[in-house]
Amino acid sequence: MIKSGIELADLASTRVGINGPASDDRTPWVLRAGEDRYRNLIRYMPTALWQVDTSAARRIFDGLRSDGVTDIADFLDAHPELVELVKDVVCVTEVNRAAVSLFRGQSATDLVKSVRYLFTAAPQMARRIIIAHFEGRRNYTEQTKVLTLDGQTRDVIFSVTFPLPPEELNTSFITLLDVTERLRTEAQLRQLEADYAHAARISTLGELATSIAHEVKQPLAAIITNAETSLRWLTRDDVSVGKLEQLTTSIISCAHRANDIIQRIQSSAARGESERIVLDLKEVTAEALLFVRHEIDASRIDLYIDATAGLPKVLGDRVLLQQVIVNLLVNSIQAISQSEPLNRYIRLSIEWTDSDMLIFSIRDSGPGIAGADLEHVFDSFFTTKEGGLGIGLAICQSIISAHGGRISASNLSEGGAHFQFTLPTAPATLYYEDRIPICRAAQPGAAAAGATATAHPGVLLQQVEPAYRTPR
Amino acid sequence: MLSSLVIAVVDDDEAVREALRELLQVLSISCRTFGRAEAFLAAYRPGEFDCLITDLRMPGMGGLELQQKLRALGSSIPVIIVTSVSDPLFRSRTMEEGAFACLTKPVSADVLLHHLTAALAVGKNSGETSDDKKRD
Repeated sequence: MIKSGIELADLASTRVGINGPASDDRTPWVLRAGEDRYRNLIRYMPTALWQVDTSAARRIFDGLRSDGVTDIADFLDAHPELVELVKDVVCVTEVNRAAVSLFRGQSATDLVKSVRYLFTAAPQMARRIIIAHFEGRRNYTEQTKVLTLDGQTRDVIFSVTFPLPPEELNTSFITLLDVTERLRTEAQLRQLEADYAHAARISTLGELATSIAHEVKQPLAAIITNAETSLRWLTRDDVSVGKLEQLTTSIISCAHRANDIIQRIQSSAARGESERIVLDLKEVTAEALLFVRHEIDASRIDLYIDATAGLPKVLGDRVLLQQVIVNLLVNSIQAISQSEPLNRYIRLSIEWTDSDMLIFSIRDSGPGIAGADLEHVFDSFFTTKEGGLGIGLAICQSIISAHGGRISASNLSEGGAHFQFTLPTAPATLYYEDRIPICRAAQPGAAAAGATATAHPGVLLQQVEPAYRTPR
Repeated sequence: MLSSLVIAVVDDDEAVREALRELLQVLSISCRTFGRAEAFLAAYRPGEFDCLITDLRMPGMGGLELQQKLRALGSSIPVIIVTSVSDPLFRSRTMEEGAFACLTKPVSADVLLHHLTAALAVGKNSGETSDDKKRD
């Protein structure tokens, strides 16, 4: 029977019904009408479709099986020429209009030939399809590229549907969905996203700088005016000790106020709003990577992650620790991007020393830190970046100290910077408690980050190396 | 000459306000201080003050709006704006809207005194000085 809501998987069975022995009582006219409908459906369907005669491949498979071949992947490794043979002997028997249009052909006859042309841009895909077919799978799908007849590369979702008994076993169907535009849009979106995140970060820092400047300038203005007023009193004959005392007292209190403002900025990140929960530092790292992953990709940096299995957990504030890791990552990305080194990599590692500390390390292939700067990198308002505020690492230090750890910077002997922070491990007795009431949670961001963690379980948590390598 | 003048100081920051009062005092200039622009406007009468020194960013009405309100009331009182905002765009806007000077905090006493003297000379010529008050 012909189904109106046609599905690819059904097409093969449809053909069986039409070409098979006419054991039913339908007249040839009825069958003919059905076949026309089916042909029209295929011809005009918007998905690019190939009907492929795989009888030659089946004969090869049968031969292999009778020779006792069971592991086709192994066999193809030893006989790569077989893949090339299959590309030549398996032939396209029919294509629809969408297929001709996708491949920029003149007519269907341009595409009705051996399937080799489908694999020009991705030669290894043929091997993967052969394996899937040999193993008796129903479908095989991958996102890949094809080269059109006029030499363009298109991104496509390439799907093959293999026949299963009792269907016509010599016919497979291939569908291609052109996703070139979609991928391009996605890439643009990612770029926009990265630009936006960058702009947002800059503007937040800019606003912060303006408001810090305003706050600090008030007491400084009062100090200067009071000091100048004192000097003017001193030149007068009627100088009053009481007045000078009052002005000096005011100067001292304004100076304390300015100092308090700076103190508050330094510790604002680690103030009482933070919470302490039992955290897996590997998870926190994975979540932090989500923020900068596109920047790492875009900067063509290889990221390696090395984390020992079974690390103990730490007690901390998820969002604050993410901020530290993001900050360190952004520093490394910028260092690498500014110096254009030959190798572009960032290596993260989390280790457990025999003391009760975890050590988080980030090493990069940037230019490293100038010797004279090494002891100042954690100072507030110290920066070597044009337009940099110099508060990132100072805040990192505040956060890590508030967590009972230490942060340090050094240079690698092979070049590049090495930042490292330690965090005390959480007492194992706390592992099963949800929240540790050291400080009450009052930070909505912490809950949001928690949700992120659940939404991306296991992101980059495997100990593979590299975690992801950006395409060159 | 300056001793007969009254300067209004508007700044939401008490330390800054008091420091300016002390400075004007050592210069023998009398002043009245206000913590908010609204408080100054309530106390304002034509001819009551010879010059206004005001902050730009304040809770409630800011220095720019205060200047606009004064001009709308027909006042030509010289306005010296003292601000921690160093944005040149903002500066030129306050000047366009008729400020006598726009100084960036922290301001040295000499600079302030220089502008204050000049502003008072202008104010005298434009008619809005405490001399008017005396003539009334």
